[in-house]
Amino acid sequence: MEKVIIVRYSEIHLKGKNRGYFERVLIINMEKALKGFKHEIKRQSGRYLVEGFEEEETENLVSRLQKVFGIHSLSIALKVQSQMDAIFNAAKSVCSDSGKFKVSTHRADKSFEFDSMQINAEIGGRLLSQNSNLSVDVHNPQFVINIDVRENGTTLVFNEFFKGAGGMPVGTSGKGLLLISGGIDSPVAGHMIAKRGMHVDCIHFHSYPYTNMQAKDKVCALANVLSKYTCGLRLNIVSVTHIQEEIHKKCNGEYMVTLLRRFMMRIAERVAKKCGAQCLITGESLGQVASQTVEGMTSSNSVIETLPVLRPLCGFDKDEIIERSRAMGAYEISIQPFEDCCTVFLPKHPVIKPTLESVLAEEGKLDVEALIEESLSTLEVMDL
Amino acid sequence: MIYLDNAATTKPDKECLKAAEKYLYEDYFNPSSLYKDGYKLQAEIKAAKTNILSFIANTDNYDLTFTSGGTEADNQAIFCGGKRGNIVVSSGEHSAVFASANETKQRGLEVRFAKIKSDGSVDVENLLSLIDDKTSLVSVIHVNNETGAINDIFDIAKKVKLKNKYTLFHSDGVQAFGKIPFKLTNDIDLYSISAHKIGGVKGCGALIRKKRAIIKPYIYGGGQEQGLRSGTENLFAIKDFEFAAVKKYSTIKNNYQLVLNLQEKLWEKLDKQLFTRISALTCSPYILSVSAEGVRGETILHEADDLGLLIGTGSACSSNEKKRFSRTIIACGYPESVADGVLRLSLSPEITLDEILKAAEILNKIVSNRRAIMA
Repeated sequence: MEKVIIVRYSEIHLKGKNRGYFERVLIINMEKALKGFKHEIKRQSGRYLVEGFEEEETENLVSRLQKVFGIHSLSIALKVQSQMDAIFNAAKSVCSDSGKFKVSTHRADKSFEFDSMQINAEIGGRLLSQNSNLSVDVHNPQFVINIDVRENGTTLVFNEFFKGAGGMPVGTSGKGLLLISGGIDSPVAGHMIAKRGMHVDCIHFHSYPYTNMQAKDKVCALANVLSKYTCGLRLNIVSVTHIQEEIHKKCNGEYMVTLLRRFMMRIAERVAKKCGAQCLITGESLGQVASQTVEGMTSSNSVIETLPVLRPLCGFDKDEIIERSRAMGAYEISIQPFEDCCTVFLPKHPVIKPTLESVLAEEGKLDVEALIEESLSTLEVMDL
Repeated sequence: MIYLDNAATTKPDKECLKAAEKYLYEDYFNPSSLYKDGYKLQAEIKAAKTNILSFIANTDNYDLTFTSGGTEADNQAIFCGGKRGNIVVSSGEHSAVFASANETKQRGLEVRFAKIKSDGSVDVENLLSLIDDKTSLVSVIHVNNETGAINDIFDIAKKVKLKNKYTLFHSDGVQAFGKIPFKLTNDIDLYSISAHKIGGVKGCGALIRKKRAIIKPYIYGGGQEQGLRSGTENLFAIKDFEFAAVKKYSTIKNNYQLVLNLQEKLWEKLDKQLFTRISALTCSPYILSVSAEGVRGETILHEADDLGLLIGTGSACSSNEKKRFSRTIIACGYPESVADGVLRLSLSPEITLDEILKAAEILNKIVSNRRAIMA
C-alpha cells in the first residue's frame, strides 16, 4: 500500500488542441513547487499522480501543491493492486471508526471483474460487518470512501478532497510586471493576475536613507510569499530618493504623490520592456486614497507609452482585499509598521483630482529624463 | 568604522573572553551536579557574585541573581517586586521597565507614571506625590538610556522610604554600572545590571537585591539562584561578566574623565546651528543626545552608516506615528519635530579623539546637506 497524491487540474480540461501545452507548463510548475522533496510526478488521463515521496512529508507536499495555480483539487490516496482484498484493506485504513458513510467507485478499467456498484456493495458490506459503529447512508454520508480503479491494474482509495488554488498554470498567459509596495494591496493584485496564468515579476521603489532596510526586507518577504504562487519571480528594486528630493525642492508639494507615481510608471515600463513583461500590474483600488481617483489614474496612465496597465483590485473594498491578503498569507507581513517611499515627504493635503495640465506644468520644472536615467542606474535585482 | 553606539552594546573584551574560555571547554559541568568537578563551580559562581557586588554594594547586605540580561532583571524586579496596590515608575524608564509596568495592569495593579524633566531626569516632587500607603514598588532608572540624565536615586530612594517604608525601590542601572562611580545605599532594594554594556557578552545580567527584600521567584524549575531564577547557570557568561566588571572598575575614574573629555569635544565640534543638545551638562559622559531638528534621525543614521559612522537614534521609519517618536523624548516635553531628529551618540574609553573629530565632521556635513534639500 503506497501513499500517493492525486492532483486534478482545473480549467485546462476545457482546452482543445493546445491542452498538452497547458499540461506541460503545469507539470513544470509542480516540479518547481516540490523542489527539494523526493518525488515523482506521473501523468494519467486528466490528472497527475505524485508518488515516491517520504510519507512524513505528505502534508508539506500537499500544502506546496495547493499554491500551484491550475490545480483544482488534491487527494491523499492509497495505491493498491486492483484486487478486492487489497482494495478492502486500503478502504479500511482510510475509514473512520464510526459514522454514516458511503462507498463511491469510479471504474476506469472496464476489464475489472466487478462493476462499480458491485465494488460499492462488496467493500461497504465488508466494512459494516467488521465495525458495528458504522452505518451506510448514501444520501447524507458523513464521509465518503472513494475508490478509483485505474486502467493500469492499480486502484486509488481516498476519503478527502483538498481545494487547489484554481486558475491557470503560471506562464501560460504571458508575463507582467507588478509595482509592489510594502502595503496590503499590491501582493494581492499580483496573486490575482498570476492566478490567471500570468508570470509576475515585481518592481519596488525605495527612498533610502529616508526609508530603512526593514522596509526593503518587508517587500522582499512579500515578494517571497507571492513567489510561492508564481513558482519563482524576479524582484527589481529601484531608488526614487533623488526624484522625491527634486519634486520637494522644485514643485508644489501637493503634487508629490501624483508626480512620483508618473515617475514610477515610466520607470516600470522601461524595466518591463527590458525583462520581457507585456503589461504593468498595480494594486490600485478606485477611490481608496487620494492618488487612486480616476483623475489620478489618468495622470499616471498618460505617461505609459505602449503597455496595458492591469488594475485587478479596482472594484474591491478594502476588507475584500484584506480577506484575500490573509488567504494568500501576506497580511501579517503587510501590516508590519515600516514606512515605504510613498509616505516620505507626504503633503498634508495631496491633490485629489489633478488636471493633466496642472500636472504637466509642475512636471515641467523637472528634468524628467535625467531623473529616470539616474533612478534606473540604482536598479538591483533579486531572484526569489 | 567609528562606533558611537556603545549604549546599545559594547565590543566584547578579548582578554576577558580568553580568561572565561575555560568555563566553556574545560569546566563545562553543570554547577548543580554533585561530583567534585561540577560542584566546585558553585564556588566560581559565588566568587563572581561577590566580586561584582563588591564594586557597588556592601556584600553583607546585598545578594545577586544572575539573569539572561538587563531586561530579565527589570522584569523580575517589576513582576516579583510589585506585589499589590500600585507601582510608581518614571516616564523615562527603559522599555524593559515601562512595558513590564504596563503589563502589571493586567494583573490588577495600578501603575502611576511620574513626569520627567526636559533632560530626561525624573521630576522628584511629582514622583513623591504619587506614592501612598498602597505603593508596593517604585522604579527609577539610574542613567537614562536615551539622554544620559543621571537620577540621584539615593536621594530619591530615601525620600520614597520616608513616605512609605514598605515600598520596594528598584533602579535600572544598566547604563550606570561600570561607567559612573557610585555605591548602593540601604534604601535601594533592587538594582539591574547587564554584562554586554561593559564589554561582557550578550545574554547575561543580574538583579542585585538587598538581602532583606523579599521577592517572589521569576522563573520556576530546578531552584538555582536560591530558587529565584531557575535554569542551569551560564557559567561562561557569568565569569566573563565578572572579569569585565573587574577590568572596568579598575579604571573607572580614569575612564570617566577620558570619556567626559571625548563627550565635551564632540559637543564642541558639532555645529550649534544644526544641533540642539538634549542631554543636560550634568549627564553621564557616556551618552550625548542631540537633535537635528527638521531632519529625521534615521535618515542621518543611514547616511552616517554609509560613511562608516555607527550611531543611535530616537526615532524610526515607522508608519505608526506613536511608535516613530521616542517615548522618552516626547515625555521630556519636546515637540515632534525635535523628537524626529534625535541622535544618541554613546561613547566608550576606546574611542580616539581623532574618531570624535571625524564623527562630528560627518554629522555636520550630513545634516547641513539634508537641511538644504528639505528646506
